[in-house]
Formats: sequence, structure tokens, C-alpha cells
Amino acid sequence: MSAQPNELATYSAQFERYANALTAAERAPRSVQFSRFLASGFPDKHQEDWRYSDLSRLAEQNYEPDVTTAEVSPIALLPDADALVYINSHLQDAPSTSRWHSDTCELPPPTTGVDALNAAFASGGLRLRLDRGTRLDKPLQVLFVSRADLQASMSHQRHLIELGDQAEATVLLDFSGDGSERLATHFFDVRLGRGARLRLYRIQNEKAGGTLMTRIDAKLSRDAKFEAVTIDLGGGFIRHDLDIALAESGAETTVAGLYAQAKHSHIDNHVRVVHAAAHCTSRMNYRGLVDEKTKAVFNGKVVVQPGAQKTDSEQRIANLLLSRKAEVNAKPDLEIYADDVKCAHGATVGQLDEVALAYLRSRGIAKDTARAMLLRAFALEILDRIEWPALRARIESALHLPSELTVDFEA
Amino acid sequence: MLEINNLHARVEEKEILKGLNLSIKPGEVHAIMGPNGSGKSTLSNVIAGREGYEVTEGSVLFDGKNLLDLEPEIRACEGIFLGFQYPVEIPGVSNMTLLKAAINARRKHQGETEIAPNDFLAWVRDRAKLVKIDPKMLSRGVNEGFSGGEKKRNEILQMLVLQPRLMILDETDSGLDIDALKIVADGINALRGPTRATVLVTHYQRLLDYVQPDYVHVLARGRIVKSGGPELAKELEEKGYGWLEAA
Repeated sequence: MSAQPNELATYSAQFERYANALTAAERAPRSVQFSRFLASGFPDKHQEDWRYSDLSRLAEQNYEPDVTTAEVSPIALLPDADALVYINSHLQDAPSTSRWHSDTCELPPPTTGVDALNAAFASGGLRLRLDRGTRLDKPLQVLFVSRADLQASMSHQRHLIELGDQAEATVLLDFSGDGSERLATHFFDVRLGRGARLRLYRIQNEKAGGTLMTRIDAKLSRDAKFEAVTIDLGGGFIRHDLDIALAESGAETTVAGLYAQAKHSHIDNHVRVVHAAAHCTSRMNYRGLVDEKTKAVFNGKVVVQPGAQKTDSEQRIANLLLSRKAEVNAKPDLEIYADDVKCAHGATVGQLDEVALAYLRSRGIAKDTARAMLLRAFALEILDRIEWPALRARIESALHLPSELTVDFEA
Repeated sequence: MLEINNLHARVEEKEILKGLNLSIKPGEVHAIMGPNGSGKSTLSNVIAGREGYEVTEGSVLFDGKNLLDLEPEIRACEGIFLGFQYPVEIPGVSNMTLLKAAINARRKHQGETEIAPNDFLAWVRDRAKLVKIDPKMLSRGVNEGFSGGEKKRNEILQMLVLQPRLMILDETDSGLDIDALKIVADGINALRGPTRATVLVTHYQRLLDYVQPDYVHVLARGRIVKSGGPELAKELEEKGYGWLEAA
């Protein structure tokens, strides 16, 4: 598990160059993180959480720091939203309309693996801090565009979303890439004050070739509400960690996700909800459409800590395997250390309903269209959670789903 | 319109149809009756082109075309409609979406443009009234949460909307109360005309009190063993099928 002497040498060389440009005060905490990274190395398949997403291949890579600052177009900015646009890790002033950016970031206590690598090199990024009782009047779209550099490059960013008591915001984390040989890691520190409400969308549309890893750590105070919708459309090697701590009573979270992958992709979602206080509610609902030569990993875990009585938790995972060459590893997991709780969980892996397909065809609908209609029906539960019409339309069109007909006979 | 010659068909290695002949002309209504397991549903499914049925011998011509060469959706676009014995529920695909996709598939097949939204709504609303389906139910998933009778009426609604030329109704009457049976029969009769033909596959005489057939056939052991007029159905009602199966 720990790195051999000459492994990670390229990372050491990059770090030395990077650290030399820092002041001594800046350098010290970074060095601590980097030493931790060297000691742990990249996680491999012997670590349970990385069993299906072995990163040891990254040890041999030589990623330069990213330098791209070029404007790119067209950029998929959604209407009626403020925007922050990053190309690789660089803020683009022109298309950005939001002021919620910071060049610097806070570092976490020493950690290991990818988190330590991120902390050692990280630059700033989104820094959204809302005072008590304030509300973001428009949704905030944060675009992370991954573009080819002169050489294979890496970017590491740390972000903060901190909502004061009763504050409210809608944020879209919008990842896209051109499939160039890059490594990008993002850490999001999310803190919700009492009664605060955050609606977070995380959309990923990377292309085969890129490596993207995100971690969102959310901590909810009393009566806070965190609603997350995550959609993975693209390919590449993707790992998402979403950790939600329901720290005080009355906190509530709903997480809904869809992974519908492009060919030759690897998408690993780890979602963990910790009920640390009594009277908290969590809902987890993930659906996967897994097609040819792709691998999907979903690990959903709910932990009910001692004293977290009256916990109400439910996790559901459903997968449709669309090809014999697809692979899915879905695992719901439940750890309960309290006795007065309501917890339900279930996971399914199935195939397209042939009877329904035959029925649609018997009405004259071509096989491909009928299939697309059924895929849409499967994804609908998750798509319905997107309460942002322009975003939903964009995702449906990216999924190549036929539009659903809504009619009003009274009109 | 439909010419079936010496049709042999298997389901999972088991031969069900063993040399069936049937000729149907435009304007005619044929009833196909017979005991359970005689091959009635197999016949319907082979005509509609459902997967899992293997034709080993014989031919089925529709307007002179070899039907067995066509995908099920093409058969539907050519004007064949099968009303299912057990209509499937499809949550997430609304009835309206199904109807519109089906109409437009047919129009595309015939080289026509898509139907205008207002024309579509009016067309469906008028037909929903005929089968007493509340249009609000049509925003729900296909047959989702429908009662048995509602599912059968929904099959008839689809048929009325799509205006097929050959209607095959596979035990559409089974499990219906008398009111629902009348609605189903009214729907079938509404489409009766000189250019259309109907095949009623049924176990009971009951439906035939409301939809008068021109011909009645008895299917037993994979073949038509007796054909006659409407009076044959009444005879079967009195005597059962035993006397024919033994013959």
C-alpha cells in the first residue's frame, strides 16, 4: 500500500518546484500534506473503498502543473444563473459573473491518499459564504472545464460552501472535459448552519481519457436541509465521494443520482450518510444505466451512530445493464448502533423489460425509439428531482432521451 | 386481406399450431373459439409478430405481403393491431406519449408528417369519451394502476386512436363486467366497416352477443376443426367443445 522509494518520484519533483515558490509559512502545512501523500501513496484495490477503482496506475504518471488560461467557447452557461468558470484550475474573468471566488483555500488536518495530494497542491476556487438569513437570489453555476494542456497536467482545487443559519442557495457544480490526459481533484467543504438549505447539483460530462475525482464533505446543523442531485453522463475515469454528516437533530438530506455512462468509462460513486444525532432523515436514490464496455461502481452507506434514535433512512439503488460487456458493482450498506430507528435499503441490477419493449413495438414504435422511451422511464425518478428546467433540458438532450409529452386537456 | 396457409408454429420447442388455414376478407368479422391450450393466443401472437414464437411451416400473407418477414412494429404500421389479453403496465411512459409515438410512427411509415398537437388532443379526447376513460388517466404511465377493465378499455382506446385495418382481439372480453363488455363491444363496432376486418379470439359466446360475427371457427389441437356462421357459437355454448375435440 505504501509507496516504494522511486514511485511517486515525478510527484516529488513537481512538489519541490511548487514548494520553492512558497513562503516558509505557506510551505510548512503543504509539506505535511505531501509527506502524508508519499507515505500512503495512491489507494489500490486492497483498500475496501477503492476495491473497484485501483489508482496505482497514477503513480507512474508525470503530470505537470496546469497552465491553460486560454478562453474556450462555446461554454454552456445556463440562463438566469450567475457563473464562475474555471478552465483547468484557472478562473476565467470574462464569462464569470459571480464574485464567490477565492485564490486561496483552507487546508484540512493532515489526511491521506488523494485527499493529501489535493491538499498539498490545492489552489482556491469557489468560496461561497452566506450570512445568516441571506439567500442567493440566482442559482450559481460553477463550471469546471478540463482542457488539453501542453503536457499531461494536473489540477487540484479546494472549495467552500458555508451557509449561515437559515441561509439558502442553489449551486451547480458542472464538470466537463475534452478527454485529454489530465488528473483533476476537487474537494468541497460544505457547512450548513441551523435551518440552512442547500440544493446542490453535480453534473459530470468528462470524456474517455480524463481522470476526475471529487469529494464533497457536508456537515449539517440542526434542521438544515441538503438536497443533492448528481448526474454522470460522460466517460473517463471518475470517482465521486459524497459524505454527509447529519450532526444535529432535525437535519435532513435527500440524495438522488443517475449514472448513464459513455462507452469505455469507469464511474465510481461512494455516498455515505452519517446519522450522528437523533430525529434526522435521509433519502438516497440512485439509478444507473450501464452500457457497453463500461464499469459502474456504487457504494451507498448509511451509518446510524449511538444515540441517533428516531433515525428515518432509506436507500434505493437500481441498475439497468444494457450490454453483456457492462459491469456494475452496487452495494448498499447499513451500520446501525441505535435501536429505535427506521432504515430501509435495497439494490437491484436488471435488464430492460422485454415485455414492455414488445408492447411498444406492437403499437408501431420502432425498436430504438421504444428502447429510448423505456430508458427515459427508468431515469425519470431522478430527472424529476431536477427543479431547474434549463438544466433538466440540457441533461435530457445529452442523454438522447425522447421528450415526454405533457398535455392539459383542460386548456 | 389475410391469408394463412398450413401454419405450423412452436413455442419453446412445443408445436402449438399444426397446419392452420384461415382466409379473411375486408369487412368481415371472424370469431375464433376453442378450449384452453388450443392455440388461440399463439395464433394472435404469430400474426402480430411477438418474439418467442417460431413458425416452422406455412405462410401468412397480409395484402399479399409476407407478414412473417416484417418486424412487429412494421406490421403495426401496416395496419395490424393486437389487443392483448394481459396489457402490460409501463410506469414512466405516459399513455399520451405512447399514443403520440404510435400515431407518428404510422404516419412516418406512410410518408406523412407528424400530427399537429391540437389535432392529436382532439382526436384522443373524442375517442377517450367513447370508451369512458377520463382523459386525466392518460397522463399516467401506460396502464399504471389501471383496473383489469380499465386496461381492456385502454386497449380499445389505442385501437380507436390508431384505426387499424386488421384488429385482433385476444380474449379482450375475459374478466369484464357487463358494462365494460358493452363499452368494449361498442368500440369494436365503431370501427367496423367495409375496409376493415376483425378477429375476435374468445373463449365465450358472451362478446358475440354484442359483436355479431360473420364467421365462427373452432380451434382445437392447433387446427381449425369446424367453421360456420354465428349459430355455431350458440351451439358451442350449449354443447361445449368436447364433441369437436373428440371428432
